[in-house]
Amino acid sequence: MMHFSIPILHSAVTIMTPLLLASMGGLFTELSGMLNIALEGLLLTGAFFSVVFTYFTGSMIAGTLLGIGCTMLLSAILASVTLNLKSNVFITGLAVNLFASGLTVVLSFALFANKGVVVFDNIRPLPLLGTPRLASIPILGDIFIGHSAFVYLSWLLLVICYFVLYRTPFGFRIRATGLHQEALSSLGMRPNAYRFASFLISGFTCGLGGAMLTLNLGAFVPNITAGKGWIALVVIFLGNKKPFGLFIAAFIFGLADAFSNYAQGALNIPSDFILAIPYVFTLLAMIGSSIYAKNKGAIES
Amino acid sequence: MLENKNKKVLPTLREGAGSLLIVLIALSAVIALSLILSKNPGKTLGYFFLGPLQSRYYFGNMLNSAIPLIFGGLGVSLAMQSGNFNLGGEGQIYGGALITTLCTIYFAPLGIVGALLALFAGASTAGALAGFSGFLRMKWNTSELITSFLISNAVLLVVNYLIAGPFLDPSTSLIATRKIPETFRLSALLPPSNLSTALFFALVAVITVHIYLYKTKSGYELRMTGLNSRFAKYGGINTKKFIVLPMFLSGFLYGLGGGFAIYGTYFASIKEFSAGMGWNGLAVALIAKNKPSAVIPAALFFAYIEAGARSAMLHSDVTFEIAAIVQSIVFFLISSEVLLTLFEKKRRPA
Repeated sequence: MMHFSIPILHSAVTIMTPLLLASMGGLFTELSGMLNIALEGLLLTGAFFSVVFTYFTGSMIAGTLLGIGCTMLLSAILASVTLNLKSNVFITGLAVNLFASGLTVVLSFALFANKGVVVFDNIRPLPLLGTPRLASIPILGDIFIGHSAFVYLSWLLLVICYFVLYRTPFGFRIRATGLHQEALSSLGMRPNAYRFASFLISGFTCGLGGAMLTLNLGAFVPNITAGKGWIALVVIFLGNKKPFGLFIAAFIFGLADAFSNYAQGALNIPSDFILAIPYVFTLLAMIGSSIYAKNKGAIES
Repeated sequence: MLENKNKKVLPTLREGAGSLLIVLIALSAVIALSLILSKNPGKTLGYFFLGPLQSRYYFGNMLNSAIPLIFGGLGVSLAMQSGNFNLGGEGQIYGGALITTLCTIYFAPLGIVGALLALFAGASTAGALAGFSGFLRMKWNTSELITSFLISNAVLLVVNYLIAGPFLDPSTSLIATRKIPETFRLSALLPPSNLSTALFFALVAVITVHIYLYKTKSGYELRMTGLNSRFAKYGGINTKKFIVLPMFLSGFLYGLGGGFAIYGTYFASIKEFSAGMGWNGLAVALIAKNKPSAVIPAALFFAYIEAGARSAMLHSDVTFEIAAIVQSIVFFLISSEVLLTLFEKKRRPA
């Protein structure tokens, strides 16, 4: 049992990171009262531009930062069309997803004359961090040590995210925007300014999450996000819209995904069924949590 | 009477002006993209705008690709008018098409009855997939928007498995099921294009949904539930019913779209043949603002952009995905209250 479950847990930690990052940004938009279904498109944008800029600049840090910049630009467009032109956030979110899937292929074709997988030879694999002493901690060391900087950065950001949301006026106002925007306006503050900021934050975290996806591979694969942005949205709901809830929910997802990768190799189950596991699993979790919420509501009232 | 008509026509025109502006913005994006991406923008634009209209072949194919969009657009409109979102169109089309294909092959001895049964079975399966999301919302208030999407994604994978596994036809090089018997294939309208008499069924569907929504009691109750669920409940409407029923019908229409795509165009369930149709159906409903009669022009517009992009790709140096960029620009702007009411007179507060 032990010998195969630890590698699964280890890869679960890697797999959960883009989900955690995207859902953290999505948490800000969600708390400000906007259903941000653009996470998928924003992740894809971050994934594409980070790896392309890394290729052109030769620096992972510069590439990631530029990729994040492009993603934030797209999220700013999303925010201004939604808030200033008063569009339905659901529809503009779908627009971002469609736009990102079109743009990445069109640019990939224009830059590399290739609509399929683009492999960048000059991009080395992400360095894995950890000291031998930390890694020698039994079990925990095997699971949590030896990941790329993205993983540890995401944990740091999670703490910052908690701090900002619950310990700063900015965070209070973001939450107030979603709960009762009239209260905020009556104090002379503009709810839409806080919504705009939330969209920018989700652009930032999705840019970072996307960068991890492609830099890990050293390649861009069309539609590399494959529903991760949608799952991030589900992580927000499953995590009960709390920062540390997101961590647990994202970990459960990472685990399901890691297990299905393992099962694909080890068990004789058709791969399509295994790929369907995360969706079925999420569905059951959604149903379970809504039954729980309904019963809880019934008891309270 | 005439005066009355004028009163109705003018606001409609003004309302249309906003949509027209958005279409023009999207089309100018085509020009901008060609100027940036193409070495020969004039040629690219020529093929983009005129290509789909140049020959019977391209024109027929454009009309044909509008057919599933009409079915999907109707399905989404119906759900949205009742206040429900159906994001599972992709899986519903694909699943409906597979069930229709398989049933047609098994029911072949029954003749026309078999064909009708097969279409009904496929559409009902798709309807059940969407209806289940409605049921979950009715029972436990689970967001149907997310569950319909999740179910659809799982269904896509299961159908992929079924097509490539148990129902694979080993005699072709395609990853596809067996073909339906020739007697069941709808006749072609504009050969050599793919257009078939499925077009007429799509038009019948538009009329049926229009009549249902605007001329029947159930349709009225559905729309009232969508407009204001509490008010509808207070007025004695069984609002719970109008969570499950519209979702079922929405999936049913998507499934019919898949079934007619098999009967008219593909004749077999080919792996991923319907990819994108579900999302585009959703887009069509949004452009049509959930009005069944407006679904036809909206579907034609979407089909035109795709046909234009395909023709520009074949004859010039741009890639097909510019269609997605242009479509996304329409998506971005289509719900903008500011743009849509730009030309409308300011309404006095009632």
